[in-house]
Amino acid sequence: MTSIATAIAEIFRTEHRRVLATVVRLVGDFDLAEDAVQESFLVATRQWPKEGLPANPVAWLVSSARFKAIDAIRRRTRQRDLEPEIARLAEELALVSNELSEREINDDQLRLILACCHPALDFQVQIALTLREVCGLTTEAIAAAFLVAPATMAQRIVRGKSKIRDAGIPFHIPGPDELPQRIEAVLMVCYLVFNEGYSASSGDHHTRPDLAGEAIRLGRLLCALLPDAETFGLLALMLLHDSRRAARTTSAGDLVLLEEQDRSRWDQVRIREAHAWLAQAMAAEPIGTYAIQAAIAAVHADAATAQATDWARIAGWYDALVQASPSPVVELNRAVAIAMRDGPEAGLALVEALQATLIDYHLYHATRGDLLRRSGRASEACAAFRQALDLAQQEPERRFLIRRLAELGDAAGAQATIAQ
Amino acid sequence: MNYLLLVYSPESAWTREEWLACTVASGHVCRDLQAQGAFIAAAPLHPVATAASVRVRNGASLITAGPFAETTEQLGGFFLIDVPSLDDAIAVAARLPSAHKGTIEIRPVHQLDDVPSDRFTAPLPDPAERIRYMLLCYDDERAWQEAGAAALRSAQATAVALTHQLAARGQYVAASPLHPIATATSVRIRHGKRLIADGPFAETREFLGGYYLIDARDLNDAIAIAALHPGAALGTVEVRRVVDLASLPERNLV
Repeated sequence: MTSIATAIAEIFRTEHRRVLATVVRLVGDFDLAEDAVQESFLVATRQWPKEGLPANPVAWLVSSARFKAIDAIRRRTRQRDLEPEIARLAEELALVSNELSEREINDDQLRLILACCHPALDFQVQIALTLREVCGLTTEAIAAAFLVAPATMAQRIVRGKSKIRDAGIPFHIPGPDELPQRIEAVLMVCYLVFNEGYSASSGDHHTRPDLAGEAIRLGRLLCALLPDAETFGLLALMLLHDSRRAARTTSAGDLVLLEEQDRSRWDQVRIREAHAWLAQAMAAEPIGTYAIQAAIAAVHADAATAQATDWARIAGWYDALVQASPSPVVELNRAVAIAMRDGPEAGLALVEALQATLIDYHLYHATRGDLLRRSGRASEACAAFRQALDLAQQEPERRFLIRRLAELGDAAGAQATIAQ
Repeated sequence: MNYLLLVYSPESAWTREEWLACTVASGHVCRDLQAQGAFIAAAPLHPVATAASVRVRNGASLITAGPFAETTEQLGGFFLIDVPSLDDAIAVAARLPSAHKGTIEIRPVHQLDDVPSDRFTAPLPDPAERIRYMLLCYDDERAWQEAGAAALRSAQATAVALTHQLAARGQYVAASPLHPIATATSVRIRHGKRLIADGPFAETREFLGGYYLIDARDLNDAIAIAALHPGAALGTVEVRRVVDLASLPERNLV
């Protein structure tokens, strides 16, 4: 490839989504913007090798897409000469200045993200639109990631785009009153994408895109666009979880508990990057919930062996998490940390206090079983693991519980449940 | 862009005093909107106990007492506003006291060029002879799909013609079709937190597809007009009396 062809390919790769974000804001319509951006990139591939790269390729591409959009609008209005609003849009577009600062381009990306993660959109639609429009994944890839038919995913994306257009969801950055709540929604979408990718233990990895990787890329983009402590905290948290990716399952797909993982397989590059973001997230007052969760994951990451884990620090962070975002599941995790610090009986008392709210949650019974096992109360532990097995849905989790039962000599219980 | 804010809340949750206080607070919101040039119209509706529903099947009108759907929250009023975007409409909805007790459904309104101009601000021509009603047109999307595009176009033309007939008789106030239900957004405030959800306040087979505001002699006249709406043949038209704001105590006036 010639050097100019390489440069063009690089610009397409890095700038495509940024150009689209600005054009979407200008024309206020996804389909129109997408067609126009595609055309402008086509013109660039023909024109740039002959005339050389423009001084500001992004501004050139936006401007060219803008004129393509004006042409398309004029063609449409000529076909059915109503819709004076659309004709007015064409006139307004023609007057837009060609000058685009880096700041404006970044803001446009943020506007696009905020529109895709708008609370008036269904949650599934928010996720699909973000992956399609912000991350640039194809509809087929998103469908494969969520194990739904491509037609279903396409419909979801169309529904989102038409709601944005017809309901008048704006491409704007809300004021300081509203922004925190909207950032929360954006981070939630990002984290859900990550979890979807991280927990996916089935499916063909060659055809399913790497959603955890996409979420981390999105997290980095958000850190640039929304330099906010919780954004840093979320990125640190995702990086820390992802650092254990190679160690957390066996080649057969079985889950490996944190304490049994081969720590030499943890990705130290990811862990170092996470620490840098975490340090920034900790500067905020009060410390946010993503940052606290990342701090807990970082204590694990810093322990050379499972035995070397600083459980006192982890328990301290769980105290903070219970304060910041109280929930029975957080309380359950806090109980585990306290059991590790003060012994299984101390944890057991805290766990059993949660029985009423978590009676249908398999991890409640699994946690209780584990603490009973460690207290030497084998038969009670077996009963708890059997209850967990009745409630657990995921195959790797079920296999883990069956293994635990077998270790406790409860072969009959394990067999009986398998036979069910 | 014009938005219709539909206020749903359990009627039983309001005392008369609370309801009056709500109209006062809502009146403040309306005045602020008016100052921004964003206000078009607003009014409470009489309780659903006063509602009638009209369906036309095989050319005959079937009239039933009560609203088109029995729900725990009832449509208690509406606000029609002109704001730049959905976010502005959400901000207005969040200021309404009813958002704390019930649900505000936000629907973008189709603006038609070929209907008579609205008469919201004009006084009732003959207050002794006229009562204002809102006709809520509930459509069955599947039934229209089966009927085909030509039937839909002809129904739209008939609906527009109806607005002109009403205007000629001095009975027309306003009318608009709404964008499909997929564009609906619901706003609630609970424990001080704004909850925004995709979709209408209630999922029903027939959904609100448009409305007319008319000045009729009485309920029978309003029902007769409702039966002329082409949507009555496939869906339901709910007839609701609009509260005349002038009839409220002076301090409650918008």
